[in-house]
Amino acid sequence: MASEPEKVVPPVEAPVAEPAPPPSTTRPTDYFAVADVVLRLLVFASALVSVVVMSTSKETEMLPNPRPAKFTQSPALIYFVAALSVAGFFSLITTLGSLYSLIKPGCCAKIISHFIVIDVLLLGIVASATGAAGSVTYVGLKGNTYVGWGKVCTMYGKFCRYLGASIGVSLFASVMLVLLVLLSVYSLSKKIPK
Amino acid sequence: METESYTNGGVAKEIGVANKQTIRWNDFVLRFLAFVVTLVAAIVLGVSKQNELVPVQLVPTLPPINVPASAKWSHMSAFVYFVIVNAIACAYAVISLVLSLANRGKAKGLSVTIILMDLIMMALLYSSVGAAAAVGLIGYKGNTHVRWNKVCDVFGKFCGQVATAIAISLVGSILFLLLVLFAMLSLHKNRCH
Repeated sequence: MASEPEKVVPPVEAPVAEPAPPPSTTRPTDYFAVADVVLRLLVFASALVSVVVMSTSKETEMLPNPRPAKFTQSPALIYFVAALSVAGFFSLITTLGSLYSLIKPGCCAKIISHFIVIDVLLLGIVASATGAAGSVTYVGLKGNTYVGWGKVCTMYGKFCRYLGASIGVSLFASVMLVLLVLLSVYSLSKKIPK
Repeated sequence: METESYTNGGVAKEIGVANKQTIRWNDFVLRFLAFVVTLVAAIVLGVSKQNELVPVQLVPTLPPINVPASAKWSHMSAFVYFVIVNAIACAYAVISLVLSLANRGKAKGLSVTIILMDLIMMALLYSSVGAAAAVGLIGYKGNTHVRWNKVCDVFGKFCGQVATAIAISLVGSILFLLLVLFAMLSLHKNRCH
């Protein structure tokens, strides 16, 4: 407020006041919108990384006959790849939506407020996919003597490492999704007039 | 919100209060249902057990010997995870029911914390359903590529109990999802008016 009377002062003092740059009264940085875009981008990136790592995890062992280990041999891993692909696709759409809303603020606030439903649904899907792939990989790692299921990871080391990395990254994606929903809830609750 | 309704007239005030009332009742009913459903799921898997005599052929010349074998939920780590998560969700449903009854929209921080915990419980429940279903599917169909034999042709009753528990827990996780969505809806409505 103190800077405004300086501008109203007659131009006699203008050469003195000119070097001072005008204050940026356009708008303050909307940290929520920026954090929103960053989190959505992280979700998309981690979903993409998970799908790529698991799809390229193929290992062939030369026993008497060459036996490959691929993710298509287990329905739980197929479900993992499908669910993370869906999550990546939807998070790409919502990333582009929030980016557009950041560049042009106030354009489509109604649509952006519906993105939170997509986030909650994606969290359920990604969490269930992580749980399914994690349990299958754990049984492959440790075996199960009660039902006679042998360890697989002693033979196929690279395959299990790729699976473990993919599941770890998808766990990171689900944590990012929780943070996203928390961010939206916090910004919604702040705007409620007390 | 009360002051706005007074200026709008008596009818608007009734609508505003009715909105608050119905969303509150939705919340409580959903939490109670979630408590019951997760409790049932944890119990159904927790008491699942089956003993069978499995014929094992040690030497090809001798007749097969009947070895007693049992299938329990504690033999599989995915089922242990399932029971633990359902028990935690059940306890959380009770605690959050009491907390949200005591705090009817007064402390905003507590409401946001309850929404966050609902979200985390929902994610945990979904992951436990996924884990138990994946392991159950392997037990049902086997996996020839890694030489994991199917178990459900011998232990049919146990597999049925596992399938029932998974289906019930899926209903419970959908209830938690509805809880989160209703909370978002009420926040959105409170913000726009």
